[in-house]
Amino acid sequence: MQKLLLSVDKLSTWIGQFFSWLIVGLTLSITWEVFSRYALDHPHDWMFDAMLQMYGTLFMMAGAYTLAKNGHVRGDVLYSFFRPRTQASWDLLLYIVFFLPGTIALTYAGYFYASDSWMIREHSSVTSDGPPIYQFKAVIPLAGAILLVQGIVEIIRCIICIREGDWPSREADVQEVDVDKLKEMVHVKDEDIQKLDALVVKQEHAK
Amino acid sequence: MKVRKELWFGFVIMALIAIPVLVFTPWTNLTNGHLGLLMLALIVIAIMLGFPTAFTLMGMGVFFAWLAYRSVDPSKAVAQTLDLFVQRSFGVMANDVLIAIPLFVFMGYLVERAALIDRLFKSLHLALARVPGSLAVATIVTCAIFATATGIVGAVVTLMGLLAFPAMLRAGYNIQISAGSITAGGCLGILIPPSVLLIVYGATAGVSVVQLYAGAFFPGFMLATLYIGYVIVLAKWRPDLMPPLGAAERQVALPDYSKTLSAGGSNALAGLFRAVTGNAQVPKGTVLNQLFISLLPALALGAILALTYYSATAPAEKAETVLQEVGGATAEQEDEASVDTGGLAAPADEEEKPEPLGAAKSADEPKPAEAAKPAPAVEAAKQAPATSAADAGPAERLPVPTWYWIMFGIFAAVVALLAWMWTWERLEVFKMLLGSFFPLALLILMVLGSIVFGLSTPTEAAAVGAFGGCVLALVYRFLAHRQAAAAGEARGSVAWTTAKELGVIIRESSFLTAKTSAMVCWLFVGSGIFSAAFALLGGQEVVEHWVLSLGLTPLQFMILAQFIIFILGWPLEWTEIIVIFMPIFIPLLPKFGIDPLFFGLLVALNLQTAFLSPPVAMAAFYLKGVSPPHVTLNQIFAGMMPFMGIQVIALILLYMFPQIGLWLPSVVYGR
Repeated sequence: MQKLLLSVDKLSTWIGQFFSWLIVGLTLSITWEVFSRYALDHPHDWMFDAMLQMYGTLFMMAGAYTLAKNGHVRGDVLYSFFRPRTQASWDLLLYIVFFLPGTIALTYAGYFYASDSWMIREHSSVTSDGPPIYQFKAVIPLAGAILLVQGIVEIIRCIICIREGDWPSREADVQEVDVDKLKEMVHVKDEDIQKLDALVVKQEHAK
Repeated sequence: MKVRKELWFGFVIMALIAIPVLVFTPWTNLTNGHLGLLMLALIVIAIMLGFPTAFTLMGMGVFFAWLAYRSVDPSKAVAQTLDLFVQRSFGVMANDVLIAIPLFVFMGYLVERAALIDRLFKSLHLALARVPGSLAVATIVTCAIFATATGIVGAVVTLMGLLAFPAMLRAGYNIQISAGSITAGGCLGILIPPSVLLIVYGATAGVSVVQLYAGAFFPGFMLATLYIGYVIVLAKWRPDLMPPLGAAERQVALPDYSKTLSAGGSNALAGLFRAVTGNAQVPKGTVLNQLFISLLPALALGAILALTYYSATAPAEKAETVLQEVGGATAEQEDEASVDTGGLAAPADEEEKPEPLGAAKSADEPKPAEAAKPAPAVEAAKQAPATSAADAGPAERLPVPTWYWIMFGIFAAVVALLAWMWTWERLEVFKMLLGSFFPLALLILMVLGSIVFGLSTPTEAAAVGAFGGCVLALVYRFLAHRQAAAAGEARGSVAWTTAKELGVIIRESSFLTAKTSAMVCWLFVGSGIFSAAFALLGGQEVVEHWVLSLGLTPLQFMILAQFIIFILGWPLEWTEIIVIFMPIFIPLLPKFGIDPLFFGLLVALNLQTAFLSPPVAMAAFYLKGVSPPHVTLNQIFAGMMPFMGIQVIALILLYMFPQIGLWLPSVVYGR
């Protein structure tokens, strides 16, 4: 079971990371566009649509990746103080009440939204003769479907946690604040912090 | 079951929300408007349960939108709800304001990984060594600069906790003040533009992000200044809390040539001149190099003066229409960025140093800035076509305004003072600043300047900023590797190691960017349907009716709104507060005649407190994570309290003197 869960995680992660490279493309293409417009006096009409599509695809496709790494923002007043079993029970309930209806609605509605657009080969109307936009709309049902699969994995995780009393493990990923890496970057070692502790104790005693 | 102490706090807040709602809801004749309010209360409770907020919003929004449509026409309700949802979601995907978020986030991660914070802190610490409470002041300045460029509170606080906290404790600083200055300084990045918070507010409230950036600049600056002022006053008043640094801490290591030259006198400028003219034991190239670096401040000030003269005395015809007036203001304010235009027309009465302008500037602006330079310069040239006519002859120029001469005097005094104080130690410190502080400050100023003065959209500036961040990371990693290679520690070629490392940095940064943008933007997907449902149910009218029936004055309303946001900042994070609650406050603003821009500035300042207020004070937990075991969370919280007080004072100041925030937008955009 755990193997299956992790392989779905891997799939979502792979998709999310694959599309995350769009940020590099976005940076380079806009930088080039700025240069091209101001220095070469040669702006491109389709650039506006292109950058929106890159940005939209980037974050939609990363939704499941973020869920797989438990990265969506949570209101953390109570949650971290709960026992894992309590956490999992609430999560399970709310996945069923909030997550499933919302995601299913998004995928289902997105499918018809995209297929309508696909049938008429819709093009963007921001500029005249805009670039095609139907493939961009197809991102909605795709992202919704991946998110749904990842959500089901999370639901199974909740059930495992309720039965066993502890959360099943996840695979590690880059962290926003990776303390060990930051320590290495500024050349601080744990011993230094330990040494510092003596100073703190001394200051406390001095009072 | 025994309930833990921490849980009580949450349960009490929940009960405080749930009980009044349950009591006051007219259950027998429930209108749609009441349903809307019920939905609002439910969402706060549901968020506090800790489920990912984006999906809570999505599920609840879909359900209540369906309820609203059902009350009109049950047969079409499902189809209408789905349509609304998917259109709202597509709206987020094609939102040309939110697109700047991933770019700024990307820039932040790149700058964070550039490994320049230790240089930055060290050089600022030496530069400020004589100021009372110097380490705390240096900490706040470092935090402000670094947090502004990165915008990642957790990373800034952790890094400063590793660098500045040990330094302050070793120097005998009080634990609480050290902790407070790190946490408060680390949160400044939320307010000082380019910040993601302001983009999120702008997208939610429909206020121009450009104007928000222009408006938030001075309040952010003011807050940082207040922090620094507080630390300095405290250090003067209670030196036992922040003892002055010992001589060893202030010591600047001098290179050999300056040791040789300093035998002749402590003033570096005089010494260098002597070395150029006379015959010294030091190579001429080194001396000229140092002399050039020493003259950089004077050259930069001279360039600014020349440009100001050029734009201040530009012929009047370009200020005829309103549109051109904006362009004129742009050219006038943009003196730092648009060097190339000014270099052409260095005025004749600039006797000090007219010709090396171009040279001064190109040396003054490091590489990342150069990447962004073509854009503003050419744009400025385009924006002021009339100005180029001024080159024809000085006869058409306007008389020089008085303020220009005042500025001239001040600058001349600064240059004289610098020349007088220019010791060998200060030269070394200046060189260190040149390698750490100025590149980052210039990157921020370029990004901000081009946005605020309308040379590029926030998206474009963010992209160029991210590119600049990449160049910074490249340069600093390269320097670090070269240093290591010089020390004989490196394996393989320097260029190859740097390239490999840059690849890793970009890869990690883009993964993190994907996750962070997904977090923020999916929140918008959820809130899109949620706020639509709230509007459909007519919850807005109920709120409006209720607020208007209270008969508040604008001042009372403002205080009430800010107080509610302040309280919400305790259990919730800023993203949730803005995305969920701003759509409720914003429509009320015109009723009280409050400018949404001004309101946004107050909210941004107010939400600073959300980071410092327990129990969800992220900053405190990040600092605790890297501090010595005997530093308690309570000490950190206690240290943050005075700074929270300063935030409240800043909020009051901004309210009393709205010009602090609104002056810059009014000058630049003629609001």
